Amino acid sequence: MIESLTLAQLAYPEPMSASVLAPYLFVSTAMFAIGLVGFLTRKNMIIMFLCTELMFQAAGLALIAFGRHHLGADGQTFVIFVLCVAAAEAAMALALVVLLFRHRESLSASAWKELNG
Amino acid sequence: MEQIIHPIALYLICGLGAAGVAMALPRRDREGGRTLTIVGGLLLAATFGLGALMLGLKAGATDSPLPNYFFYPFAAIGLGGALRMITHKRPVYSALYFIMTIIASCGMYLLLSAEFMAFALVIIYAGAILITYLFVIMLATQAPTGDKDELLDEVDAEAREPLLACAIGFVLLGLLTAAMFRGIGELPAPARATTLAQADNGVLVNLPKKVDKILDRNDLLPTGWRVARDPESGKAMLDVDARTIQIELVDGKDHHGHPNVIATRTLTSEDWPADLEANNLDRLGYNLLNDHPMMIEVAGIILLMAMLGATVLARKHVELEEDLKAAQARKLGAYMGDGPQGGAA
Amino acid sequence: MMTASLLNTLASPIAMLAPEAGGGHAGGNASAHLEHLVSHVGHGPKWVLLIPFLPFLAFVLNALYAAFGVKSKLPAWTTVALLAVAFATALNMFLNFDGTPYTVQAFEWFNLHYGDKHFVANFSFYVDKLTILWMLFVTGLATLIALYASEYMSHDIGTGYNRFFAAFSLFVVSMSCLVMGDNLIMLYLGWEGVGLCSYLLIGYFYKKPSAVAAAKKAFIVNRIGDLGLALGVYLTFVHFGTVQYSELFQNAQLHHYIDMAAGGDFSHIPGTAQWIALLLMVGAFGKSAQFPLYVWLPDAMEGPTPVSALIHAATMVTAGVYLIARMYPLFLVSEHALPIVAWIGTITALLAATIGMAQFDIKRIMAYSTVSQLGYMFAGLGLLTTTGAAFHVLTHAFFKALLFLACGAVMHGFAGQLDLRKLSGVAWMKGWGIVGVTMLVGCMNLAGLPYITSGFYSKDMILAEAFITPGYAAIGWILVFTAILTAYYTFRVYFRVFVGPQHAEPGDDHHGDDDHGHGHDDHGHDHHGHGFHPHAPGWAINTVLVILACASMLAISLAYIQKEESHGWVGSMVAQSTASFHSPYAEAAHHAHVEHTEMHAVAGPVGTATPGTVFGMDAHQGMILVSGIGAIFGVLLAAYLHGPKGWQGLFLGGREHADKCRMDAIAKRAGPLPKWAENKWYVDEFYHMVLVLPLRIISHIFHWVDKLLIDGLVNVFGFLPRVFAWIIRPSQSGVLQGYAVSMAGGLVVILFVVLIIVTRAGGAS
Repeated sequence: MIESLTLAQLAYPEPMSASVLAPYLFVSTAMFAIGLVGFLTRKNMIIMFLCTELMFQAAGLALIAFGRHHLGADGQTFVIFVLCVAAAEAAMALALVVLLFRHRESLSASAWKELNG
Repeated sequence: MEQIIHPIALYLICGLGAAGVAMALPRRDREGGRTLTIVGGLLLAATFGLGALMLGLKAGATDSPLPNYFFYPFAAIGLGGALRMITHKRPVYSALYFIMTIIASCGMYLLLSAEFMAFALVIIYAGAILITYLFVIMLATQAPTGDKDELLDEVDAEAREPLLACAIGFVLLGLLTAAMFRGIGELPAPARATTLAQADNGVLVNLPKKVDKILDRNDLLPTGWRVARDPESGKAMLDVDARTIQIELVDGKDHHGHPNVIATRTLTSEDWPADLEANNLDRLGYNLLNDHPMMIEVAGIILLMAMLGATVLARKHVELEEDLKAAQARKLGAYMGDGPQGGAA
Repeated sequence: MMTASLLNTLASPIAMLAPEAGGGHAGGNASAHLEHLVSHVGHGPKWVLLIPFLPFLAFVLNALYAAFGVKSKLPAWTTVALLAVAFATALNMFLNFDGTPYTVQAFEWFNLHYGDKHFVANFSFYVDKLTILWMLFVTGLATLIALYASEYMSHDIGTGYNRFFAAFSLFVVSMSCLVMGDNLIMLYLGWEGVGLCSYLLIGYFYKKPSAVAAAKKAFIVNRIGDLGLALGVYLTFVHFGTVQYSELFQNAQLHHYIDMAAGGDFSHIPGTAQWIALLLMVGAFGKSAQFPLYVWLPDAMEGPTPVSALIHAATMVTAGVYLIARMYPLFLVSEHALPIVAWIGTITALLAATIGMAQFDIKRIMAYSTVSQLGYMFAGLGLLTTTGAAFHVLTHAFFKALLFLACGAVMHGFAGQLDLRKLSGVAWMKGWGIVGVTMLVGCMNLAGLPYITSGFYSKDMILAEAFITPGYAAIGWILVFTAILTAYYTFRVYFRVFVGPQHAEPGDDHHGDDDHGHGHDDHGHDHHGHGFHPHAPGWAINTVLVILACASMLAISLAYIQKEESHGWVGSMVAQSTASFHSPYAEAAHHAHVEHTEMHAVAGPVGTATPGTVFGMDAHQGMILVSGIGAIFGVLLAAYLHGPKGWQGLFLGGREHADKCRMDAIAKRAGPLPKWAENKWYVDEFYHMVLVLPLRIISHIFHWVDKLLIDGLVNVFGFLPRVFAWIIRPSQSGVLQGYAVSMAGGLVVILFVVLIIVTRAGGAS
C-alpha cells in the first residue's frame, strides 16, 4: 500500500486510463462551476476577478489532465499561455478596478449601470 | 457505454452542491443565518463524500484503475478552497483561500507528471498574481476591525441572486460532466510503445548535445566520439524503438565546411543508458519552441500591451470638483490661447 | 350666329397665305420665301451679348447691394445706367443691321446625341428684325420705367429697394433670353425667367396677404400655359429634330408642309406637326393672359406700379404675341391654330372690356384694358396680320406704360387711393398738370381717336384685316364694338379722376401696400384728417411721363414710314422676319387701294373669293370711318355719363361731385348686369368652384388617407419594434452580472440542446 503511494500518479511513460482521467475532469468542471457561481453572485469586483482566475485554473487543470492522457506536452504549453493571459488580465483588471473605485468609491459592479436599457 | 459515475448520482451530487453553495453564500445575518451557512457547509461535505463513495463503489464493481490516493485530499482541498473563496465575506480571506486552491491544483499537476507547470503555477499565481490581488484588496477596501459582519462593506456582505446563479452554475456542471462522461469511455487509450517512442524520438533526435552529455556521463563515448549527426538535418541518429545509437569520430572539417567523419559505430540496446530519455521539461520546451513559436510572440505582445494598458489606466487622476476643473481649464485655455477645452489633459 | 360663324370659318380662309410683298420676294411661293429669309444666317458681332449681359450685371450688383444693405438710390442709378447702355446697344444693333439674320453664341450649352437625333441648344442669340423690334422697346421702356421707379419706390430705400431693382434687372435679362434666344430652349429659359421675376415682383409686398395670393395665382395659372409650351417645344424636337430657329425654319419637311398649307391641304400634314402650334398657343395664352387663363393679370396689379407698367402691360405679356410671331411658320401649318387664336383674342377683348367698364379701381381698369388690348393683338395674329399685331404691341407698350405710370403717380401721390369715385379734378391740382396732360394723351391713344393717335393706326390694321378676310366680319364687328367700349371706359377714368371739381380722399394706406409710411411724414402729410395734401410727382416721374407721351404721339409717324411698301415701319421690320406672312386677300386689297383699281376676286385654295369690304369701301378706309366714329362716340358717351359740368365735360356732362354721376342712375335701373360685370362675370368664382374646390376636396381626402392609412401603417411598423423593445428592455439592466447570468444561461440552454441531440443520435446508432 505504502509503496504505491508515489507522488506521481503513474510513472510517466505509463498510459493513463479514462477512468483515471474522469475524476480530474470532474474536479476541473466543478471548479469552473464554482468560479461561475462566484462570478454571478459576488458583488465585489475583486472577488469577481478572482473567480475568473479560478475558472482559468479549472481550464488549466483540464488541459494538463488531457495532456497527460495523450502523453503529449501540448496541454502544458497551453497552460503557459493561460498563465500569460491570466497575468495580463490580472494587471488590466486590477488597474480597471482601481480606476473604477476611484470614480465611485465603491467596488460594486452594480455601481456602473449607465448602459441600462 | 461505460459510465464513470451513474447519472442519477451525478445529478444528485450537482443538486446537493447547488443547495449547499446557495446556503453557504454570504448574506445579511438574520435569525438562523449562521445555521444556514453551517447546513450548507455540511451539505457540501456530504457531496464530497458522496462523490468519493461513488468512485469507490465504481472501483469495487469494475476493475478499472482509479487515481492516486493523493488525488482525494488535493481535490477536496482544491474544491473546498474554491467554495470557501466564493462564500467568504472578506476579500482577503477569499484571496488566501484561492491560494490554497492553487496549491492543491499544483499537487494535482504533480500527480499528472507536470512538474514544471506545478512549480511555475506556485511561483506565478500564488507568488505574483495573487499578491497583486491582495495589494489591490488592501488598497481599495477598508478592512473592518473585529469580527463584526455588520461593519463589512455592503458589496461583500451579501450575494446577488444566489439561487438563480447556483441553479445555472450547477446545471451547467451537470450538463458538462454528463457530456464529458458520455464520451470519455470512448477515448482511445494511447498504446505505450508507439506513442511514447514517437514522442521521445522526436524530442531526443533533435537534442544531439543532450544525448552526447548523457552518453558521456555513462562513459559510453570514447574521446573524440559523439553521437552521429545526420549530415542533412543535423539530427542525432538514434532509434528509440530499436534502442540503437550511432556514434561517430569527427576530426576537423572538410573543404565544404562539413565535419570530417573518420569512423562510425553503432551502440546496441544493451548499451542504451537508463537515463537516456526526454524529461518533462525537455518535452515542454521542445513543444513550446518547435510547435508554437508564433504563440510565444503573441503572448509577448499580450503581456506588453497589458503592461502599457495597466500603466495608462492606473495613472493618478487628480480628482477635482467641477468648478475647480472648469477654473483649471480656463487657466489652461489662457495659457494655450484657446477655448475652455483640454482640461482633461 | 356667332357660333355658326365660328364653326363654319374655323378652318378656312386663313389657310390662304402668301409672302409679304415688302419682303422683296413677291411672287415666290411660301416655302421659298421662308427659305430665303433664313438661308443666310451668319455670325454676328459679339457686342450684341451686351444686351443680356448688362442687365445681368445690374442684377448681380443689385444683389450685392442687397447683401451689403445699401441704403441709397444707388441700385436705381446702376440699373438705369446699365439698362440705358443696353438700350443703346440695341439701337446700335438696329442701325447696323443689314437685313441678314445672324446668331451670336455666348457659350455652348446643350450638345447631346439622343438616339439618331442631335440635340443642340446653345446659349446663343438670334438676331433678325423681329428680335430688334422687340428688344428696342423692351430695353427702352425698361430704362424709362427704372428711372420712374427710382422715385416711385423711394419709400422702400433700405428695405426692398435693392430687391426690387435686382428682380427688375433679372426680368430684363430673362426677357432678352426670351426674345433673342436662338432656340426654343433659350426661349423657354427666358419664359420661365420672366415668370419668376413676375412672381417675385407681384409678391414684392410679401407682408400683404393679397399680394402673396396674387403672386401665387399668377405663377400657378402660368404653369398651365408653361406646360403647353414645354410640350410644344418637346414635340418640335420630336417632329423636326431641332429646336434651333435657323435649322427649324430651313427644315425641308416644314417647307413642304407650308406649301401644302398654302394650297389649303391640311390632310397630309401629320397631326404632331399641327399639334405643335396648338400647344405653343396654350403657352402664349397663359403668358399673355388670354381668355381662359387671363385671371391672373388683373390680380397681378398688387405689385408696384412700375412693375405693372413694364411687365404686366408693356413687355412680358407680349411674350405670347412674340412666341406666335416667331413660330409663325409652325402656326401656318396647323389647320385650327390661327382661327382659334383669332377667336380667343376677340372673345378676350370683348370680355375684358365689359369687365373693365364696371370697375372702380383705376389700376384694375387699366389691367382689364391690357387684357382687352392683348386680345386685339391675338386677333391680329390669328387674322394673318402679324404687322398689325406687332404694331399694336409697340404702340400699346408706349401708351399703356404711360397710362399705368400716370395712374401710379396718382396712387403714389394720394396714399394708395385708386378708387375713381374718391378722386376728382386731379389735373387741376398744383403740380399735377403734367400728369393730367400725359394721361390725356394715353387715354386718347387707348381710345383710338382717329388720325391723332398711334393707337388708332395699329388698331385699324387689325380691324381692317378682319373685314378683308372673308368670313371674319363677325370678328371685325365684335372688335369695333369693343373699341367703342374701350373709348368709353378709358375716358370714364379721365373724366372722373382728372377733370371736374377738385376732390381727393387719401387711401387708407400707402401705395396700398406696406409699412413704409415714413416717407410721407417727411412731407408733413396727415392722411386721415382734412389737412391732406397730395404728394405731387417729382422730376423723374414727370420726365418719364413726358417722354412716353411724346413717344406715343411720335409713333403715328411709324405708320407713314414705308407705308406703301410694307404697311409702315413695323411692317418693314416684320417683313424681314419669319413672321412675314399675310393673306392673299390683304395683298389684293392693298394693291387695289394703292393702284386705285377695282377690287377683284383672288384665287385661294378654298375657291376664289373677293376681299371683304366695309360698306363697299376699301376696308382700311372704311375702318378709319367706322372705328373713328366709334371711338368718338365712346368718348362722348363717357363725357355724358361721367363728365363734369361745363367745358371740362365737353358740355355734355353733369357731374358735380366726385362720386355722383349720371351713370349711377342708369346702373340702378340696369338690373344685376353692372354688378355682374363689376364682379368680373364671376369667372374667378367659377374657376374656384370648378377647379380649386374639387382639388381642395380631393387633396383633403388624400391628406386624410395619407394621415390615417399610410401614416397609420407606417406607425404600426414603427410601433411593433417599440413594443418588442419594451418587453425585452429590462434584460438590458446595465449590471455586468446580469449579462453574465444571461450568458451562462444561454450556454446552459445550448449545451442542453446539444446533449439531447447527441443522445438522440447515440440512441439511434
